[in-house]
Amino acid sequence: MAYHSPYRAQPHINAPPDQGFLWNIFQRVDKDRSGVISDSELQQALSNGTWTPFNPVTVRSIISMFDRENKGGVNFNEFAGVWKYITDWQNIFRTYDRDNSGFIDKNELKQALTGFGEQKSYRLSDQFYSTLIEKFDRQRKGQVAFDDFIQCCIVLQRLTDVFRRYDTDQDGWIQVSYEQYLSMVFNVV
Amino acid sequence: MSFHYGQGYPGGHNPQQGAPYGGGRGPYGAHPTAPPTAPYGGAPGPTGYGSYGVPGYGGQYGPGPGGAPQGPYGGYGGQPYGGANGYNAPPGNVPPGVNPEAYQWFQSVDADRSGFINMKELKQALVNSNWSAFNDETCLMMITWHVWYFLLDMFDKTRSGRIDVLGFSALWDFMQRWRALFQQYDRDRSGSISGSELHQALAQMGYNLSPQFSETLVQRFSARGGRPGIQLDRFIQVCTQLQSITQVFRERDGAMAGSIRLSYEDFLSSAVTRLM
Repeated sequence: MAYHSPYRAQPHINAPPDQGFLWNIFQRVDKDRSGVISDSELQQALSNGTWTPFNPVTVRSIISMFDRENKGGVNFNEFAGVWKYITDWQNIFRTYDRDNSGFIDKNELKQALTGFGEQKSYRLSDQFYSTLIEKFDRQRKGQVAFDDFIQCCIVLQRLTDVFRRYDTDQDGWIQVSYEQYLSMVFNVV
Repeated sequence: MSFHYGQGYPGGHNPQQGAPYGGGRGPYGAHPTAPPTAPYGGAPGPTGYGSYGVPGYGGQYGPGPGGAPQGPYGGYGGQPYGGANGYNAPPGNVPPGVNPEAYQWFQSVDADRSGFINMKELKQALVNSNWSAFNDETCLMMITWHVWYFLLDMFDKTRSGRIDVLGFSALWDFMQRWRALFQQYDRDRSGSISGSELHQALAQMGYNLSPQFSETLVQRFSARGGRPGIQLDRFIQVCTQLQSITQVFRERDGAMAGSIRLSYEDFLSSAVTRLM
């Protein structure tokens, strides 16, 4: 097997939180009591561990993942998925943020992305990890914060999924036409 | 046989890449529907914001076919803010080279008078004005937060998370020119671009793509809850990203076969570096 995407592996399974507990949180986050948590409500509720606002692009990505009716937010049932998703990533992040700085550096990122698959993943170069840090490091610290880490993983997962669709013989290489290539990339943006 | 990708941006070389595809005269040749004499076609070499000063800014650049505004790549180099862009006699204390309208808007957004707009100020301003900026004419200048983020990032040459009045003015001009193009391609004046309108627009810009591709883009970028069609902000995003992705493809298709072979890592990094 030529490559194994590290991004697919589910993070540690947490016991599902109690419904009452979740409902309590949902109500606090749903500030306008609309029954739906919007991007900005979720953004305000989330912390990336630093004093900067949570990445709005990450918020949008997460909400769109769970928003089944394309209503621009998540209801209580969907929120349970959002909650689990974020806490799972949080556990991963904490595991690799060894010094508890709130940021992970290139080596930690590399470990995080290769570490949680059940098999060794396809090898990506050091150069590639540098590119990732450069692209997802919104705070320009040479390291990525929690929110940017999630965004990085989401993008990699989508790209990997679309790559696999074309890599039918699983050798890690694809041959694509111009329009196919455009479609692949536009799928992700 | 050489495959036409579409030249995307006539005269639109990206100096950062040192790409030789300028002016519709590059090795790919001009697409038949995109005259090499398109308004922006003339200036060889890196122009950056200087591209705003190419002859034609003063009036005749009613965007002709293929006249997609260039991206900001290339930075503040050149002589961008001088007289050529037509703002040499600003009223009041508008700095030379700055669009007076852009200046006013900048001043109202720059709450702490730092001389820079950061994301927080921008977001605040957008919330206060009901998430729309440039609401001077119709609703065509509605820019969603997501696209603002994308555009500001594009114009934030120093990657500092903030933008000064010169950069903002360039961004403003960039959007005005896209708006003119948008209106030209919105043939039924519906305020949004349909799949067939997008297909025509892209063909005129020199892209050789199927009608299905345009339909897919429209479905993907239509506003939530509305009828299918893309608004101005998404139109800008789609076109600039298309330029950028096309460039990636060209760089890898040396033989101009219209098809490339890519490894997993090359695919990931090509997408990540050119899109975000």
